[in-house]
Amino acid sequence: MHISFLIHNAYGIGGTIRTTYNLANTLAEQHDVEVVSVNRHRDDPVFEVDPRVRVRHLVDIRKGTAGYEGDSPEYHRPARVFPRAEGRFDQYNALTDRRIADHLATVEADVLVGTRPGLNVHIARQARSGPLRVGQEHLTLDSHSKALRAQLRGVYPRLDALTTTTEADAGAYRGKMRLPGVRVHSMGNPVPEPGVAPADGTGKWVVAAGRLAPVKRYDLLIRAFDQVRRQRPDWRLRIYGGGRQKDALRTLIDELGLYNHVFLMGPAHPIEPEWAKGSIAAVTSSLESFGMTIVEAMRCGLPVVSTDCPHGPGEIINNGVDGRLVPVGDVNAIAGGLLELINDDELRGRMASAALHDSQRFDPARIAERYESLFTELTGRTGSGGRIGRLRGSVHRSRGALLGGAYAVRAAGRAALRKGRTA
Amino acid sequence: MTVMLPPLVPDEVEADELAPRADCVADSAGGLTFDLADLGLPGAAYLLLRLRDRQPHGAPARETRLPLTPAADGRLRAVLPSSVQLAEGRWDVYVDHGDAAPRRLSPGVNDLRSLVDRMPSGTRPHTAVRIPYATKHGNLTVRAWHRAPHAEAGELLISGAELTVRGRLFGVPFSPRAHAELRERTGTAAPRRVEVTVTGADFGLTVAYAALTGGPGTWDLWLLPQGTGGPAARVARLLDDVADKKPIFTYPEVRTGTVAVGPYYTRDNDLALRVTPTV
Repeated sequence: MHISFLIHNAYGIGGTIRTTYNLANTLAEQHDVEVVSVNRHRDDPVFEVDPRVRVRHLVDIRKGTAGYEGDSPEYHRPARVFPRAEGRFDQYNALTDRRIADHLATVEADVLVGTRPGLNVHIARQARSGPLRVGQEHLTLDSHSKALRAQLRGVYPRLDALTTTTEADAGAYRGKMRLPGVRVHSMGNPVPEPGVAPADGTGKWVVAAGRLAPVKRYDLLIRAFDQVRRQRPDWRLRIYGGGRQKDALRTLIDELGLYNHVFLMGPAHPIEPEWAKGSIAAVTSSLESFGMTIVEAMRCGLPVVSTDCPHGPGEIINNGVDGRLVPVGDVNAIAGGLLELINDDELRGRMASAALHDSQRFDPARIAERYESLFTELTGRTGSGGRIGRLRGSVHRSRGALLGGAYAVRAAGRAALRKGRTA
Repeated sequence: MTVMLPPLVPDEVEADELAPRADCVADSAGGLTFDLADLGLPGAAYLLLRLRDRQPHGAPARETRLPLTPAADGRLRAVLPSSVQLAEGRWDVYVDHGDAAPRRLSPGVNDLRSLVDRMPSGTRPHTAVRIPYATKHGNLTVRAWHRAPHAEAGELLISGAELTVRGRLFGVPFSPRAHAELRERTGTAAPRRVEVTVTGADFGLTVAYAALTGGPGTWDLWLLPQGTGGPAARVARLLDDVADKKPIFTYPEVRTGTVAVGPYYTRDNDLALRVTPTV
């Protein structure tokens, strides 16, 4: 199959970009894969790209280069196809409208995959007849504005398939959007096997990682840890990540006298060796559209104590088996969940093994197989290879492959990552 | 080994985007193993550690060369055992193929789990600590400490206008004459004697802030395990995986009179107290 991804900017850092490359690189083992970037602002992608994946752009916005198109009058006229209510509307324009339209009218592909609502709209409205039209939603339906939902409702029925990161969100699209004939599938996000050995479960550390943003509710985690240390002063908490809440969290730590027990570690990249230093991971968010850090921690052999917030955690964690779900916003419950695992080494060890095993379903090879099955079924063709299991993905553990795994950041991307927001 | 070297890339330079990347694994004894891709260049390859220069310009640089030998998967490996002594400081890491200028390495995966909560046996007279880290410019550097004896700081407890420090001594035994001293960094005030309580190798001491409130200043904390005239150890926090404690291990300040007093870790991870005016 020839699979063509359409992405806002394949040269940036965000989660959608990483996820797209994880998927594209794996699909490229059996298929002809290209990643078409609407914008290009730097010479090379930040993330490692399989040499079999072709990456190209539609609009060149590399300042100071001969190809720079940011001075074109079209570039400064507002977009008419890209939906106005989409979060990235300001970065689209008459030039992107025209280039995307040209691309979609001529593209040689069996499957077109849009990676955000505005690009799904382009594909739904402008793709030539022939290729399968697949829209991906990396955020959730209820995170879209009313205006955007209204715009999508009119256009999404022209897609062949829509993918979400969770079943909960797939259910929301099926229930609220009325998409007759559109296959709505939850796919999950791919998370490669880490390049470090799993945690051995002996370190008396709880680890959390994410932006220090209000939605992560690290204030609750810190308050919960105040209860934990009263019972188990030998355990401590590390929170990785940067963000605007740092000063407020620092003040809370000092007010509670937790400065020997709770540490704000700052951003870490790669994060996997930091997970591996802990024995329990904690997520206290009020909202997780998927819950990438939960899968990352599980792949490093940590059971996760997480709030059962919308949308992802409850679908990732098998409560009581490979982790513990606790009610949202409940300090006592968070502390109780942590202490349950802290006070029972045998339970913690059992959950850690289960976490390692259960999180394999998010391996890029497994996620790519789900996409492949969907594409194959809808195109009515069979792929060039065999059946399930033919995608090798990242399921190999050699030292040499280590850098091709979760921290598959190209050398050129490292400086960008240091400056960007990473957990 | 002390030799003259051609000028190398200073760390002030942003990491080369194509710089080779080294993965580093620490063992609990303080040894480090570096793995990097074999660039396929002819001739012997070395991992070069060069002490970042705090000496006058042009002074000889100190360096350590470790042979890089083929490991699994076509990679090269160098081992820095704890028995190789490194002077205290920041050792920038290069790969040297001998035929061109050594190339600065950038950090790959630093697996430092064995350094977390590290507890040396205490049988050696010295304590050696090496923590690889990414510099702010994205280069790989090893932070090294060499202390004999060493006084490791543990929990700090701030209560009222007092700081209690708990720690452990490595390298020498305590004698009944053991005590600690706060020494004002600029030497403008007399040292303050602080009594210590000792249980085996563990010690505790309490600093009353009232003793420091004569004026602004910075006070370094020293442990004298065998009293005046014996060995002295800066109280420091070295035995974990965090190369730079200062931004992570932070503590509240206490206002007393016209000053605020609080403990902090210096950029060398030594414990100090800072007295600053509040107006």
